Amino acid sequence: MKRSLILALAIVFLTTLSTGILLGQGKFSKETEEWLKKSALGSYETRDYDEKQIYEKAKLEQEVSVYSYSSRVHQFGKTFEKQYPGIKVNGFDMDSTEIVTKVLAEQRAGNFAADVIFLKDPSTVQHELLQKGLVFTYVPPDLKSVLPDRFQKPFLVHHVSIDALIYNTDANKASPVQSLWDLTKPEWKSRVSFPDPVKMPEFIEFLATVVQHGDEMAVEYQRVFGKPIQLSKGVKNAGYEWILRVLKNDAIIAGSTNDVSNAVGQPGQATPPVGITAFSRLRDKEKNPKLAFDVAYDVKPVLGIATEVVVAIVNRAKHPNAAKLMTRWMMGDAKGGQGYKPYFVLGNLAVRTDQPAPKGSRSLAQMNVWMADPAYVWDYGQEIRDFWLANLK
Amino acid sequence: MNESASLFVNRLGLKLRQPQVILGLLLLVVLAGLVVVPFLQLVHDTAVWQEADRRMSRLAEPGDWTLFHYLRVFAGPLSVNIFYRPLIHSLATSLTIALTAMLLGGLMAWLVVRTDMPFKKTIAVFAVIPYVLPSYTLALAWLDFFKNERIGGAVGICSYLFGVSPPDWLAYGFVPIVITLSLHYYPFTYLLVSGALVSLDSNLEESGEVLGASRFRILRRITFPLMLPALISAFILTFSRAVGTFGTPYFLGAPVRYFTLSTTIYSSIVNRTPAVAYIGALVLILISMVIIYLNQKVIGEKSFVTIAGKGLLRRVTLLGRWRWPAFSLMAALIGIAVFVPLLLLLWQTLMLYPNDYSLGNLTLHYWIGKSQATLAEGESGILRNAQILGSAWNSICLSVIVALVTGMMGILIGYAVVRGRKTRLAAVLEQGSFLPYLIPSIAFGAIYLALFSKSIGPLPPLYGTFLLLVLVCVAKNLPFSARSGISSMMQVAGELEEAGMMAGATWLQRFRRIILPLTLAGSLSGFILAFISTMRELSLIILLITPETRTLTTMTFRYVEQGYSQFADAIILLIVLLVVGGEFLARRIGGKRETI
Repeated sequence: MKRSLILALAIVFLTTLSTGILLGQGKFSKETEEWLKKSALGSYETRDYDEKQIYEKAKLEQEVSVYSYSSRVHQFGKTFEKQYPGIKVNGFDMDSTEIVTKVLAEQRAGNFAADVIFLKDPSTVQHELLQKGLVFTYVPPDLKSVLPDRFQKPFLVHHVSIDALIYNTDANKASPVQSLWDLTKPEWKSRVSFPDPVKMPEFIEFLATVVQHGDEMAVEYQRVFGKPIQLSKGVKNAGYEWILRVLKNDAIIAGSTNDVSNAVGQPGQATPPVGITAFSRLRDKEKNPKLAFDVAYDVKPVLGIATEVVVAIVNRAKHPNAAKLMTRWMMGDAKGGQGYKPYFVLGNLAVRTDQPAPKGSRSLAQMNVWMADPAYVWDYGQEIRDFWLANLK
Repeated sequence: MNESASLFVNRLGLKLRQPQVILGLLLLVVLAGLVVVPFLQLVHDTAVWQEADRRMSRLAEPGDWTLFHYLRVFAGPLSVNIFYRPLIHSLATSLTIALTAMLLGGLMAWLVVRTDMPFKKTIAVFAVIPYVLPSYTLALAWLDFFKNERIGGAVGICSYLFGVSPPDWLAYGFVPIVITLSLHYYPFTYLLVSGALVSLDSNLEESGEVLGASRFRILRRITFPLMLPALISAFILTFSRAVGTFGTPYFLGAPVRYFTLSTTIYSSIVNRTPAVAYIGALVLILISMVIIYLNQKVIGEKSFVTIAGKGLLRRVTLLGRWRWPAFSLMAALIGIAVFVPLLLLLWQTLMLYPNDYSLGNLTLHYWIGKSQATLAEGESGILRNAQILGSAWNSICLSVIVALVTGMMGILIGYAVVRGRKTRLAAVLEQGSFLPYLIPSIAFGAIYLALFSKSIGPLPPLYGTFLLLVLVCVAKNLPFSARSGISSMMQVAGELEEAGMMAGATWLQRFRRIILPLTLAGSLSGFILAFISTMRELSLIILLITPETRTLTTMTFRYVEQGYSQFADAIILLIVLLVVGGEFLARRIGGKRETI
C-alpha cells in the first residue's frame, strides 16, 4: 500500500513538473513555428483572401472541428457543408469554461482535436490561451477594412452581445426605470431580478465594467439624488457602491438569463420586477409570444454592458485551412450572410461596419453602452466576484 | 534466515494463497489507477498555485506550493459566506434528506417485498423512476406549484387555484429542498433494502414468532437489525449524493439566497478556480469518512448471514386491514414523485409555445416534426434528428458496458471485503471504493481529462476514446456497486463456499457456481443503478466526450439554456423510456430468482 502510494505521488509530481515546464516556455515551439508557416498563419499570413485556394487545401483536410459556446454551431455547420462540399463539420457545443479547460488539456496532451474555438470570456482567452500561443487570431484579410480595430486585435470578435435592463410592457407604457441608480430605491426592493454572476461569468464582466466606470456612476448618482454619493465603509468607488446597494435592496438572484426574462415578461403581474438580462433574450418573445418585455433603451448612464464573443484557430490544429474557411464563413457578408445568419437576430450586434442591424434593433453605434474591457476584467474580476460574495447576505 | 522471519514468510505465503487476498490486491491496483491517483492529484492541486490563480493573487507562481487556497476557504474574510454558512446548510439539508429518504425507501421496500400489499408489482416498476428523472425536475415542478410573487413571472398553481400565496419558507429554501430531494433519492434505500430483503430467510422471523414475539417486535428485533447494513449503506449514499448535488438546492435556494457547499464548489469550477472547489470536496470526503467509520464501528463485529446452507424461505406478512392504507400511501408517494413530474414534462413537450396550457397550443412538432424555418430555429423533432438518435445509441452502449463492469467489480469487492473482514486490506478497499462519490462529478471529469490526455507508461493517451468514458463512469459508480456487493455478500454464509471447497471445486468454480448466483439478486441493484446513473450522467463526462462519443444528456443541457424546454424535456422522456426498458430487461435476465 505504502509503496503504491509513493509511486502514485511520484507520478503526480512528475506530471505537474512536466506541465509546468511546457507552460513556462515563452516563445513558440519549433513545431508551432513550422505549423504557422505551413498554415500561413501568424506572421506568415498572406495579404489576400483567396477563397478558392484555401478551399482546395481544405478539401484535402476533409473536416473541421469547432468547439462552440453556442448550439447554433450546428446551423452554420450545416450551411458550411452545403457551401463547401467535401468538408465535414464536427460541431461541438459546451460552456466557454469547458472549452478553455479542454483546449488547455489537449494542448498539454499534444492531442490537437479542436480547430476553431468560438466562445465568450475574452479575458480568459487572451491571458490563458492567446498570450501563451495556444490559439491564434485569424482575421480574414478581406474583412480587415470593415472591422474596427478593436474587433480584430488582439483577437477576432465575432459579434457583441449586450446585457441590458428590461421591463414589463404589459404593466408599463414606458420604462419605469430611468437610471441604474433607480434599482437601489425602496420601491424596487425585492423587485430587481439579477442573473447570478457567480454562476455566469459574463455577469462578472457586467459588474466589473460598472466598477471601472465608477466616476460616471458617481456623477449619475448626483444627477438622480441631487447630492454627492456617500460611500459605505471600505467601498472603493461608486460602481462598487451600486453593487452593494442593489444587493442590500434584496435583488432576486436568478439562475439564468432565461429566468429573468420570464420573471419580468410574464403578462398580468400587478407589480412586475425589472431585471438585467441578455439583450438577445428579446427573441424569447418569438418562442413565447405572450411574453411582454422590452429593453429600457434610455436608462442612464448606459442601457447596458457589451461583451465580446471570440473566434480563434487552435495551435497546431490538424485542419488549418478548413479552420480559416470556417472562420470566414462565420463572419458572414454585408447583408448578414448564411454563415452569420444564426446570429443575425435581435440583441446580437454585428462587428462589421458594413452590416445593417437586424430588423427592430438599433445598431451598436447608436446604442449607449459601455464595452467591457478584457484587461480590466482580468485584473479586477476576481476582486469584484469576492465583493459580491462578501455582501450576499 | 531466523525463525521469526521464516514464520513471517510462511504466514505471508499462506495469506497469499487465500483467494480474497489475491483478489483484494488485484482490486487495489485497479482502484489505485481509477480512484487513488486522481484523488492524490486533487489533493496536490489544492496546495499548489494554479494557472488561473494569477487572477486572484499577484504572488501566484503556477506550480509552486502555497496555502493560499486553504486560507481563502477557512480563514479569509469570505470564509463565512463561501464556506461555513454553506457547510451548515449542506449538513442540515443532507442529513434530513438522508433520514427521510431512508424511511420512505425502507418502508416501500418492506411493503413490496414482504407483504401482501395490493399492486405491489406495479409499485415496484415505478419505484425507481424518481431517480431516473433529473433531480431538478421535481424542483421545477415544486416551483410551478408553490411559486409566490417573490421571483416574479407567472404565479404558481397554488396561488392561481386557491388565491393563497405560499410563504417564502414553503416556496424556497430548506423545506422544499428536503422534500424534493428525499423524493428523488429514496430509490437508493429502496433498491438496497429490497435486495437485502429478498435474500432474507423468513425462518429467522418465524423462529421469533414461534417464541411468541409480536409482529412489531419481530420487525424491530429481527428484520430491522438484519437490514442494518443495507440501511446504513443507503444512508451514507444518500447523504453523500445529496451533499454533492447542485441543481435542486440552487433552483430552490437561490431566490432566498440559501446557498450550500455544492453551490460554492460548482461556481468555483465555473470560475476556473478549481483548487478552492477541491478543498470543499475534501471537506465533504472527510465528513463521509467519519460516517463510514462510525458505520464500521456499528456493524463491523456483527454477523448478518441470512443465506445459510439451508433452504431459503420467504414468507409474506399479512397486512390485514392495513393493506389498502399502505397501498394508498405508496400510490400517493409514487404519484407525487413520478406521475406529476412526468406528466408535466410530457405536457411541456407538446406545447408549441411554453407556459400556454390551452388545447390549441398542442403540437407533436418537438417529437416528430419536420424542420420548419419559422419554428425552433429550424430544428426537426427529436425522433427525426440523426444526431439525437446517434447519441441515444452511444448512451445505451456506454450504460450497458458500465453497468456490467461496475456490477461485477462490486461483487468482487464485496467478496474481498467481507471474506477479509477486519483486515487492513479490506478496510482500504472499502474506503477507497467510496472515494469517487464525494469528488464532485465535474471535478472528477476535469482530473481524468488532465491525467489521461497523455500517455502513462505503456498506456496511450485515452482522451477521445470510448474507453475513457467507460473508465470514468465505472470509477464514479463504484461506490454504489461496492456497497450493494458488500451488503449482499454479508448475507452469504462462509459454509456454503466451504462446502464447495470440500468437494474440490476451484475458486473460479466456487465463485461462478455458488457466490455469483447467490449474490446476483442482491447485487442487481448495483448493476441497475450504474446503468441509470450512466444513462443520465452529464457533468462527469462533459469534458471527456468528443463529437463521436456524445451522449443523450449532453444534448438536453443546451436546449434548456436556449429556452427550448420542449426539446430538452422530450429527450429526458426518451432517457426515462430507455432506462425503464433497460431496468425491465435487467430484471428479466438477472433477477430470475427474485419474486417481487
